[in-house]
Amino acid sequence: MNFDSRKYVIVIFFVLTGLLYSIKLFYMQVVDDHWKLRAKQIAEQRREITPPRAVVFDRNGKKIVENKTYYNLMMREADMEELDTVAFAKLIGWEPEEVGKRYRAIVEGEGKTLIRETGKYDPNYRKGRSYPFIKELTQDEMSRIAPNLENFKGFREEVASMRNYPYANGANILGYLNEVSAEEVKNDPFYKGGHHIGRTGIERYYEKQFRGTKGVKYIVQSARSVVIESFEDGKYDTTAIQAPPIHLGLDVELQAYGEKLLQNKKGCIVAIEPSTGEILALVSSPSFDPNLLVGKKNISKNYPKLVNDENKPLFPRPLASEYMPGSTFKLIQALIGMQEGVITDQSGFTCNKSVVGCHNHPHPSSVTKAVQFSCNPYFYAVTRRIVQQKKKKSSFHDAEIGLNNWAKYMHSFGLGKRLDTDITGLRSGVIPDSKYYDKWYGHHMWKFSTIRSISIGQGEVQLTPLQLANVAAIMANRGWYYTPHFVKSIGDDGPLEKYRVKNKTMVDKKYFAPVIEGMRRCVHEPGGTARRARIDGVTMCGKTGTVENYIGGVKQKNHSVFISFAPMNNPKIAIAVFIENAGGGGGTWAAPTASLMIEQYLNGEVKSTAKEKRIMDAKLSNFK
Amino acid sequence: MRQNESLTGSFDWALFAVYILIMSMGVATVYSAAYDSDHPSLFSFSEVYGRQLMWVGVSLFLGLLVFLIDSDIYRKFSLPIYGFTLALLIIVLLLPERNGAKSWLGIGSFGIQPGEFAKVGTAILLSSFIGSINVKQQNVRTVLLVSAIIGLPMILIMLQPDAGTFIVFTAFLFVMYREGVTFDPIILKFVNLIPGIKFRQTWVGIHFIPIIFAIVFLCLTTLIVSHEPLLLDTFPGEEFSGYWKILISLVFFYIAAYFVMRWIFAKRDRKRAAAIAIIGFLISVFISFVVNFTFEKLPSHQRLRIELLLGIYEGENVQDGADYNRNHAMAAVGSGGFFGKGYQNASVSSVETNHVPESETDFIFCPFAEEWGFAGSLLLIGLYLFMMLRIVKMAERQRSTYNRVYAYSVAVILFYHFAVNLGMNIGFAPVIGIPLPFFSYGGSSMMSFSVMMFILLKLDSQRKDVLN
Repeated sequence: MNFDSRKYVIVIFFVLTGLLYSIKLFYMQVVDDHWKLRAKQIAEQRREITPPRAVVFDRNGKKIVENKTYYNLMMREADMEELDTVAFAKLIGWEPEEVGKRYRAIVEGEGKTLIRETGKYDPNYRKGRSYPFIKELTQDEMSRIAPNLENFKGFREEVASMRNYPYANGANILGYLNEVSAEEVKNDPFYKGGHHIGRTGIERYYEKQFRGTKGVKYIVQSARSVVIESFEDGKYDTTAIQAPPIHLGLDVELQAYGEKLLQNKKGCIVAIEPSTGEILALVSSPSFDPNLLVGKKNISKNYPKLVNDENKPLFPRPLASEYMPGSTFKLIQALIGMQEGVITDQSGFTCNKSVVGCHNHPHPSSVTKAVQFSCNPYFYAVTRRIVQQKKKKSSFHDAEIGLNNWAKYMHSFGLGKRLDTDITGLRSGVIPDSKYYDKWYGHHMWKFSTIRSISIGQGEVQLTPLQLANVAAIMANRGWYYTPHFVKSIGDDGPLEKYRVKNKTMVDKKYFAPVIEGMRRCVHEPGGTARRARIDGVTMCGKTGTVENYIGGVKQKNHSVFISFAPMNNPKIAIAVFIENAGGGGGTWAAPTASLMIEQYLNGEVKSTAKEKRIMDAKLSNFK
Repeated sequence: MRQNESLTGSFDWALFAVYILIMSMGVATVYSAAYDSDHPSLFSFSEVYGRQLMWVGVSLFLGLLVFLIDSDIYRKFSLPIYGFTLALLIIVLLLPERNGAKSWLGIGSFGIQPGEFAKVGTAILLSSFIGSINVKQQNVRTVLLVSAIIGLPMILIMLQPDAGTFIVFTAFLFVMYREGVTFDPIILKFVNLIPGIKFRQTWVGIHFIPIIFAIVFLCLTTLIVSHEPLLLDTFPGEEFSGYWKILISLVFFYIAAYFVMRWIFAKRDRKRAAAIAIIGFLISVFISFVVNFTFEKLPSHQRLRIELLLGIYEGENVQDGADYNRNHAMAAVGSGGFFGKGYQNASVSSVETNHVPESETDFIFCPFAEEWGFAGSLLLIGLYLFMMLRIVKMAERQRSTYNRVYAYSVAVILFYHFAVNLGMNIGFAPVIGIPLPFFSYGGSSMMSFSVMMFILLKLDSQRKDVLN
């Protein structure tokens, strides 16, 4: 066989490859514009400008969250020329070795992303990207650095903004910001390393409404010279647009007043405008100055202190603390009883102290009186009738049906489920149903007598203060509620769609009148449990609660609870007050606190100065 | 008898001129790509361009040495030379890693990559061995020896690991093909085990190398083409597997092949055309199906690696993610336009902006193509083609098999480097780091290619001395 002809195969191979490459090159370089545009994209720099976040106003137009300007010193290695470390360190007031340390920290740490495929962190540092070399410089600090910055190529100042809270109130509502995580940068192109994101509160819930629209500035840097010019005269540049202001239903004066009332106490106040569902105040005590958690420096200094504080100021009690509601719960029991037809407004039960303890009071011959006197045996009897309707032969089976029916009513009052309020950290409370008790006792192994404490709001029942305040709003509205919410409007838009939907309870309006009359008498008639809550010239309705509680089987001082709305007709405010381990009854601490809040809100000032002084000065023993 | 000619009597000046020209263009491009305004002199030895100039000097000096030595030396000492390069490959494996591979032998920034020199050693021994056998009397032993000569350095390079150099060694398959060295004896050994069969040669064995290339080509095309689903205008919204495109192409290809064969074959053989077309079609379908099916079943991270290698990765981060290098390289080349942006005006691939990594070594074509445009690129391709074809021509004029095999080795190794390196700059080849001969920055490749070239020039100039 002669192999000489095979040389042609090789020659053809060489020539074809050369030809193919030439054609491809002709297409890439001469015909197709795609790569030219791509090259432009690569060679130009995109500088993104993040607008300051939306400012927040309270219901009376007072600015409660604003921005203050600060500066980041940005570094871009691609622009750097030999850096005189010593001179640079002197300019920024550092030790020379710190400069190198910071540089290495950026190279190794910034833009690090988790690669899912390998499970390893990939340092994603790029010389062509800007990274903050020093963050959060004040105007003063920057003005010392800026004039000399042009001697250090690759460094520039970047204006950024940080939150400021003129009122220092409502920290648990507003929430705080901190730097985005690598994961967040990866998942949302809006964020770059060093950006801030809402971590808690409404800053987190409304993150997208707060952050605004980024602006972009295109800059072209030619190869040899470091001349920077705007790309095509800024044709493609866009300006950063701040998000429209956000108005809250919150009354910052009321909020501040509430925080002052609860100073040195653990507890909560939640006030709602019943006709709209707007939250007027949401006090979590103890709280903290939100300015403590502004910016990286402050957060790293103050956050550990707040986290380790025994009184747990970071814990949003009104949203996440689940308490037994005590006697305030009786209002709903009465309503359900009447709606179910197991009692009428004129039903009377003997105050038989052998089943549940009670205090001495006149005979509860009607729903109104039972509410007024807060008679335990009465509501024991009512709830028994609700749960055991004798629809089944087996009392166990009967209790199962009755309890589940009862739970359904409770859900319609927004209890036992998480309210869809515009904030994070909400909890659902507990409304036990048959499944719940089946787990404890076994299927058909329990009946009303087993679970009777729920009738007076003790035992397994748990509510958050926000839910309790919502119950007050339901009472004020006689049977319906708007889901409580903070944000009244965003720019020109009203509240979110879901806050414009009326939620109806399963109890008809007509059954509310006797219960509300009972609530009025609680405050205004002799024998009522909340006599300390009276305010001159305002007809108030309220209901006290005194919650027995135990820690590890040891009885603690009672929680003091009060829910209320005022005025009785055309209510303007519904409120729930919860003071932990206050001792005494609901009328001792919670009721006067609520009345002060109502007085402040309705009248704009408080005349009951003695009452005010008593509450403010109280330092309860559980507060450390 | 040795003819009494002057030292440069039949020196191939044309090849030498192209070699010098490409090398000069390379230095100029490295100077532009790596330019540092603090060290503007071309002779700044702290910069890569200064060092490149030094490597050029060293290479020319080595070339002169090579040229002064009688070419017979290489044949006589082919085994020790091969052994020496192999020993370097073993030593480098015992040294600590550098940049994740054991491919570097030396101190500090000065050192050599034994892999580059192993090519020369292998070419010399392979030429000498093939020159010593009669290809018409191939047996299992000769085939195994040829395989060992090529295979040993490949295994050692695989251990470094250095995928680029490893692949370059398959260039020797072309040389074997040209010389008619086949794997037929081994295949016959097995085939003739089957009772009743006694072949003297097999078609597959003889055409082993083209068949390997055909199969590799089919596999790669299958993966690349199947990757994109088939969308038909007649079925809007429907997505068909991209594999259908391969199937349809194969049908058309073999129908065309059938008619071509009918036209070429003699009348009595026309029935064979149909049989060949059908068998070929079935085998092709089988291979492509298996490849496609296996790929689909691979774990996602392995698929990703293959996709990246083939340049068909289409994840979210195409612009800045895993396909970063290739994308930026292609942008640099593509933005060159017809006449380029002008010398020292590359904006994408200059070291200053640093958008293309390794723009002075593996991606050296980027700054060149960006600054000189299509005109320059065409000139460079022309120069390389001229060089390779000139070497083929030179090979064919040799009187000894030894010289011819060596010349072909040089030609195909140059071709591999040229095709893969340029290919990865224009999206035709996976990103495999091998230098562009005489052009990329790097001492080892400059020296080894120069030595390779000067041995060839020397052999050629003495071709009339040697009587086979």
